[in-house]
Amino acid sequence: MEFGPILRALLRNKLGVVLIALQIAFTMTVIVNAVYIINQRGELMQRPSGVDEDNLFHIRSIGFGENFNEELAITDDLDRLRQTPGVVDATVINAIPVSNSGSSTGFSLEPGDRGSMVPSAIYYAGHRSLNTMGLELIAGVDFAESDVLIRPASSNTNAGSVIITRALAERLFSADAQSAVGQSIFTPSGQAIRVIGVVRQLQGPWPLWPEIENSAIFPEIVIDGSSMYLIRTEAGEQDRLMPAVEEMLAASNDQRILRQLRTMADTREESYRIDSVMTRILYVVIATLIFITAMGIVGLAVFSINRRRKQIGTRRALGATQGAILRYFLLENVMISGIGVLAGAALSIAFNIFLVQTFNMPRIDWFYIPAGMLVLLLVGQLAVVGPSRAAARIAPALATRSV
Amino acid sequence: MLKMTHIRKVFRTDLVETHALRDISLNVAEGEFITITGPSGCGKTTFLNIAGLLETWTDGQYLLDGQDVAALSDFQRAKLRNQKIGFIFQSFNLMPDLNLFDNVDVPLRYRGMKGAERKDRIERALDSVGLLSRKKHLPSQLSGGQQQRVAIARALVGEPRFLLADEPTGNLDSNTAEGVMELLQSINDAGTTIIMVTHDPSLASRSARNIHFLDGRIAESDHIAVAGQLEAVS
Ligand SMILES: Nc1ncnc2c1ncn2[C@@H]1O[C@H](COP(=O)(O)OP(=O)(O)OP(=O)(O)O)[C@@H](O)[C@H]1O
Ligand SMILES: [Mg+2]
Repeated sequence: MEFGPILRALLRNKLGVVLIALQIAFTMTVIVNAVYIINQRGELMQRPSGVDEDNLFHIRSIGFGENFNEELAITDDLDRLRQTPGVVDATVINAIPVSNSGSSTGFSLEPGDRGSMVPSAIYYAGHRSLNTMGLELIAGVDFAESDVLIRPASSNTNAGSVIITRALAERLFSADAQSAVGQSIFTPSGQAIRVIGVVRQLQGPWPLWPEIENSAIFPEIVIDGSSMYLIRTEAGEQDRLMPAVEEMLAASNDQRILRQLRTMADTREESYRIDSVMTRILYVVIATLIFITAMGIVGLAVFSINRRRKQIGTRRALGATQGAILRYFLLENVMISGIGVLAGAALSIAFNIFLVQTFNMPRIDWFYIPAGMLVLLLVGQLAVVGPSRAAARIAPALATRSV
Repeated sequence: MLKMTHIRKVFRTDLVETHALRDISLNVAEGEFITITGPSGCGKTTFLNIAGLLETWTDGQYLLDGQDVAALSDFQRAKLRNQKIGFIFQSFNLMPDLNLFDNVDVPLRYRGMKGAERKDRIERALDSVGLLSRKKHLPSQLSGGQQQRVAIARALVGEPRFLLADEPTGNLDSNTAEGVMELLQSINDAGTTIIMVTHDPSLASRSARNIHFLDGRIAESDHIAVAGQLEAVS
């Protein structure tokens, strides 16, 4: 079509074009990177934790009475829980995955080798912890009841065996999970622990921790006055069982209080709340920027059309159909936006490089750039449709009428 | 080639009705050069707009080349303007952001003509008005007379059979106006029908036929040349 003349005419009115193109470029840069960040967060939030999240809840029991015996209470409570119809299994554990609170340590292959320790989350859990969490054992064996060490919080000696995640096994031994079984690893205090099993996945408690897939389960019950019970129910039984379990535990022992009755789903939601809030803020930023840019495009189009009313009338007089006028302004917008999105592509990449270097973010996927260009071209076209249609309706008689 | 019978044009706004044309009946033959004169507001431009299909009319019949143009759609009228009619305006109406070449190119673009043929025609049209050497210039770099010559080149480039000019010399001094008038006359000599509105009686007197408008009607229509011939015969 009239590509050449439109471009040459545009180049004679650089200022408005440059300003709008810059705005488009800036908007595209922010949008592309914001969408990328949103998707990154989304992927983080969607990672499975390895546990049967849909059917898990937990409750904390805190003893206060003079006659409270935590060890006995745990045995008694777990018996009751496991006998409750609808409960698949239950265990006692020190921390909940993805809950943002727990403990970590480092393991090495040589005693006292602090230099090459591999960081890992640690879970101290009672018997049947794997079945309770719904973990998949991919090598070795589960703990036996006799493996479980009951110890005071002040003791630094761990149980002699551990089950680790595949990620941790691969990091420690640089080999497949199977070959980790039977090996010894060392705690920072130099104690040798035998790896008896490997599970496919169990995330640590901290969602943003880079080593989140490194976890180790010790068969230990720590007696420290408070015990967290993790309870797995049959599908669909959670809502019914949560109040029932709380009531049952409360009635069974009046020497303690019960706290933190919560589902895994709620725990996850709370841990990722900042991320979902940030995502929402970014969406608002994107929508606002698109709106402002669209308004800028509308403004420029209306202004330049009003300035050229007589020219448009003259074009109509010389034989331009309404469609030709409409196409003229749509095409003109494609060119302005085209300059904008080309600059935007360069700027988006530059900005992403900056983010990568400063905040250690991963590099943007290439297809975000053409997608961003396409979106902004589309925004431009939609913004300019109204003004262009108004331009197409300008009467040809304007050629002779207005001065 | 143009036949109007009892054409009326009423402009209606919320407050007033303006009878711009009251009753115009007119026949224009192929190859005529007609000038239209009359006081300001008598309907000259309105007549030209209707003749050039820029505007619709209220009443009456208009046949262009025997075709009843009342029934045409906006699209068809645009196509007809593009193919049959050339326009010249008092204030030239060139596109200020386009150079002379691109300006003359405008009507050809709407005809969907191939680039090579367009270029050829544009250069011939610019050459015929003596401005080919300045085809890369902007209108603002030309004098008024030169700009009007570019506008004439633009009107001619599509080889219309029918040229409409609304006070083409209105913004020009008398010398420059003379040049434009001569150009129009040579165009007419080549066979193009011309209707020109002018305020200049000396220009009007040089056309074969002058029509005087008064308050939306044709007051008198002199066939000067024909009358002259008749006188000579008698
Ligand atoms: N769009 C319009 N709306 C209302 N009235 C109009 C419109 N266009 C023209 N008129 C009126 O129609 C009448 C004829 O106008 P027209 O422009 O045809 O006159 P003219 O003979 O060309 O005058 P001039 O010599 O000043 O150019 C005038 O009274 C004018 O005010
Ligand atoms: Mg007029």
